[in-house]
Amino acid sequence: MNEKEIYRLLLEAKEFGFSDRQLAHIWKTGEDSIRRLRERLGLRPVYKTVDTCAAEFEAYTPYHYSTYETESEVRGCEKEKIVILGGGPNRIGQGIEFDYCCVHAVLALKEIGYETIMVNSNPETVSTDYDTADRLYFEPLTFEDVMNIIEAEKPKGVIVQFGGQTPLKLAVPLENAGVTILGTSPDSIDLAEDRERFGALIEDLKIKQPPNGIAVNSGQAREIAKRLGYPVLVRPSYVLGGRAMEIVYDEANLIRYMDLAVEASPEKPVLVDKYLDNAVEVDVDAISDGVDVCIGGIMEHIEFAGVHSGDSACVIPPRTLQPSTIELICEQTTALAKALNVKGLMNIQYAVARHNGHEELYVLEVNPRASRTVPFVSKATGVSLAKIAAKVMAGLPLAQFGLPKMPRIDHIAVKEAVLPFVKFPGVDTLLGPEMRSTGEVMGIDTDFGRAYAKSQAGAGMRLPSPHPGDKKRCVVVSVNDRDKPLIVESVKKLLDMGFEVMATQGTHQYLQEKNLECRRVFKVQEGRPNIVDFMKNNITALVINTPLGENSTFDEKSLRRCALELNVPYVTTVSAAQAAVLGIESDLGRNLQVKALQDYSM
Amino acid sequence: MPRRTDIHKILIIGSGPIVIGQACEFDYSGTQGCKALREEGYEVILVNSNPATIMTDPSTGDRTYIEPIIPEALEKIIEIERPDCLLPTLGGQTALNASVELAESGVLERYGVELIGAKLKAIKKAEDRDLFKEAINHIGLDLPRSGFVHNMEEAWKAIEHVGFPAIIRPSFTLGGAGAGTAYNREEYEQVVKWGLEMSPVHTILVEESVLGWKEFELEVMRDLANNVVIICSIENFDPMGVHTGDSITVAPAQTLTDKEYQAMRDAAIAIIREIGVETGGSNIQFAVNPEDGRMVVVEMNPRVSRSSALASKATGFPIAKIAAKLAVGYTLDEIPNDITKETPASFEPTIDYCVVKIPRWAFEKFPGSKPVLGTQMKSVGEAMSIGRTFKEALQKGLRSLETDRGGWGADGKDRYVFDDPAHPRYRDPGDPELKAEIVEKLKIPTPDRIFYIRYAFQIGMTVEEIYDCSRIDPWFLANLLEILAMEERLAEAGPAIQSWIEE
Repeated sequence: MNEKEIYRLLLEAKEFGFSDRQLAHIWKTGEDSIRRLRERLGLRPVYKTVDTCAAEFEAYTPYHYSTYETESEVRGCEKEKIVILGGGPNRIGQGIEFDYCCVHAVLALKEIGYETIMVNSNPETVSTDYDTADRLYFEPLTFEDVMNIIEAEKPKGVIVQFGGQTPLKLAVPLENAGVTILGTSPDSIDLAEDRERFGALIEDLKIKQPPNGIAVNSGQAREIAKRLGYPVLVRPSYVLGGRAMEIVYDEANLIRYMDLAVEASPEKPVLVDKYLDNAVEVDVDAISDGVDVCIGGIMEHIEFAGVHSGDSACVIPPRTLQPSTIELICEQTTALAKALNVKGLMNIQYAVARHNGHEELYVLEVNPRASRTVPFVSKATGVSLAKIAAKVMAGLPLAQFGLPKMPRIDHIAVKEAVLPFVKFPGVDTLLGPEMRSTGEVMGIDTDFGRAYAKSQAGAGMRLPSPHPGDKKRCVVVSVNDRDKPLIVESVKKLLDMGFEVMATQGTHQYLQEKNLECRRVFKVQEGRPNIVDFMKNNITALVINTPLGENSTFDEKSLRRCALELNVPYVTTVSAAQAAVLGIESDLGRNLQVKALQDYSM
Repeated sequence: MPRRTDIHKILIIGSGPIVIGQACEFDYSGTQGCKALREEGYEVILVNSNPATIMTDPSTGDRTYIEPIIPEALEKIIEIERPDCLLPTLGGQTALNASVELAESGVLERYGVELIGAKLKAIKKAEDRDLFKEAINHIGLDLPRSGFVHNMEEAWKAIEHVGFPAIIRPSFTLGGAGAGTAYNREEYEQVVKWGLEMSPVHTILVEESVLGWKEFELEVMRDLANNVVIICSIENFDPMGVHTGDSITVAPAQTLTDKEYQAMRDAAIAIIREIGVETGGSNIQFAVNPEDGRMVVVEMNPRVSRSSALASKATGFPIAKIAAKLAVGYTLDEIPNDITKETPASFEPTIDYCVVKIPRWAFEKFPGSKPVLGTQMKSVGEAMSIGRTFKEALQKGLRSLETDRGGWGADGKDRYVFDDPAHPRYRDPGDPELKAEIVEKLKIPTPDRIFYIRYAFQIGMTVEEIYDCSRIDPWFLANLLEILAMEERLAEAGPAIQSWIEE
């Protein structure tokens, strides 16, 4: 074939939408050699305009898509340009939060005089409104498509920090192709994700991590677990996003996990971490320019560590942490931001373990990028973290923004996750290390109980009224042995408010031993009337059911499904039960107050 | 007509948390609506419980309430803010339902708040099955034939005009429990009896099945002067039976004849006028029987929807923004188009490219759930792509999904490999078991069906055979076959290309 024939063939393939990656597969070569071939042949896409009128009138709004033709409709521009990469289609774990961050980045960069260029493929978003950025490219977020835009626009740099995983994984390939990545360097991002490099770094900084080890077979895992002490958190090293992660309480279950759930091998080791039982998880969003560091917000999770942070409710400011722990969190966050030379946003997850009134701080994860919690923190504190971060990434010093080291607010904001279980019949409703929520709501008020109750109402769960007289006066309690001592306080409060507590056998026995008056209720398979009958009779105000772990029975699952389908408020962790009790006590029905964000002092 | 000067403060309700079926498209529409109204000098009060939205940024509205979208909270907000109007059509079904509740409980009347955009009567007419049926019949359009039935005797009478296959839907059961399809009298008797028993009110709806019919949507806008424009036509690649939110969709419609399209346009215009959506956007869905071209009206959303966000992005016509301006009294011819600055909003958009939307699912997160698509939406997001042809847009769309695919296969990720017997995923294309497997996957819609069409072609199935299994229009299938033919040409050219590829 001569050059002209090859050009014709490639052009035709491109008109049919074939990507470099597909061509590389068909011709058994690398994607980069296809790119080089196209460059050699001078085969590049052109950009057409979405103009509402099929080019009949002149269009003023640069909203573009690529295709392979002859004439490009992109206009020149005098200003310096910055490309912001969006998050692509929404999925669980990567949703509207990243659209929010991208939009703020665009607005901030416009404010300081840049021509902003948005690239995204998600039609549901504000970032793909032609009104948002100066230029919009509705394109796939692949290396090929993004690189084509960069070559056409020649921006000063690209921001990959605000769109979640999608643009982040383009950071290294883009940098290797000579593109300037603004903000924290791809190497720092890698450092935070690489277990070994990160381990060495925090050792240097004298920051603690939960004790851990790596196992390539069952025997090794058992040894490590013995050394760390049960419970342990196990997960395959090669899987992202909490899939197949499990908390294991004894050796029998560890063997089962290693032999059945995952096939460990030297190529696919299993990570074994000490699980900090009943530790409080803390999320921190911070911002840095490499010199100064400001804490955006510290969020205390309601659910214990082990529930994915995206599925856990959380509260800002922290509710139960000691001041010394908060100070330590600030110190370690600052140290980590400086060590990683963060330019822009970072998110750190900590766990706080408690022993006899003493709090111990462990770092779980560091992500030097915009996190899912940025919009929530910004709404709760009134500081637009994403905007400031974008300006810092463009080169402005953080000191210029006059942020406090730590925001102080007088109100309480609670974030609650919203889960789609109702759409998936037969699926258990337990929360776990894998994120499954699709969205979130915020409750904001002057005390925790009211803010929590609002967050629950916003998420579609109306907590019962504390006043006798409502016909729904039964609370069903069925918790595992580990949780029994922890539920006593909540049951006491419920009884004080005049609720009737019904408990399944083991829980019933335990509560009676503590002199708490409650009625024994049958599980579904024990006889009738059973728990489900009570729910169906519409007298159940709340179900507190914590899982037995691996031995979780069909009975428990059907109970939770039933609560979900009948819309009976239910909680599956003790900590959520405690929060729910405070929510009920706050009596939102009688005390509901609303207040505009503009009226909060922040 | 100029904008109204008798109103000053407008309340907009958002859609709350992101859930399946109601995602950030309503942040997009709410934010646009808000900007449009403030531009006109109105004071905007926003309510939304979702903090991750742009619409709840303190600078988007004048007054922003991050409060639960429940009647008590909304009433408190109305009591404090005393808005003149409530615009209920920008926050999805959540906002529409909440607004209806406020209207019906008398709160709006008590505080003198006017519903703008869509009046209560119009909302009811579009959303209530009986009222909608009456309205559609009144203007001489067709719906799927149906009837409510309370006993077996009535059921036999109903089936005479409904015909087989028939869908039986018990009233007021949870999650559609007890519903079924009957293809013959024996099955019908069984399903009807079961359905009557399941329904707490012993009532079922017997409805003509439109499964497998072609599905279309039109995005329509109307103003106070009764002008109507069609913003965009959208065709579902997956036929009726798959929720449009779970269907691959294409804009503009590709397989209608001009005559069919004009009939659909006329129908849409008649519907929005009859239902009486005063101002703003509506989404109207149609089904067309591929056998005889019979067109029926499936449903109407008297508000901005997921499809209108898609239509806005597909055409460049900002539906939510224009809807907000129409709601305060402007007519379509008075609102300039931002993109051209020359044409007004009464100019129907024309597009000289093809847009494809592909849903993104998350079944892997829910062990125990079957990845089967049906009438209840399961997808959690979507990608849109634009190309000069359907082929180009589809391949771009597939690589936009973040599912590690490079396009429509040919990326090393295909489930079956046919050309390399040494490959671990190699299958013999002549294997009858494989064909049975593929046929099954064509019949039952799943997230991967689009790729099974590829495998079907690769083992030698024809457009007709694939159509019989999937009911996907032959035009789409023929396009896919062309992609495959191109791929084969590329593979053949492989040896000649090698010397041009520098390693």
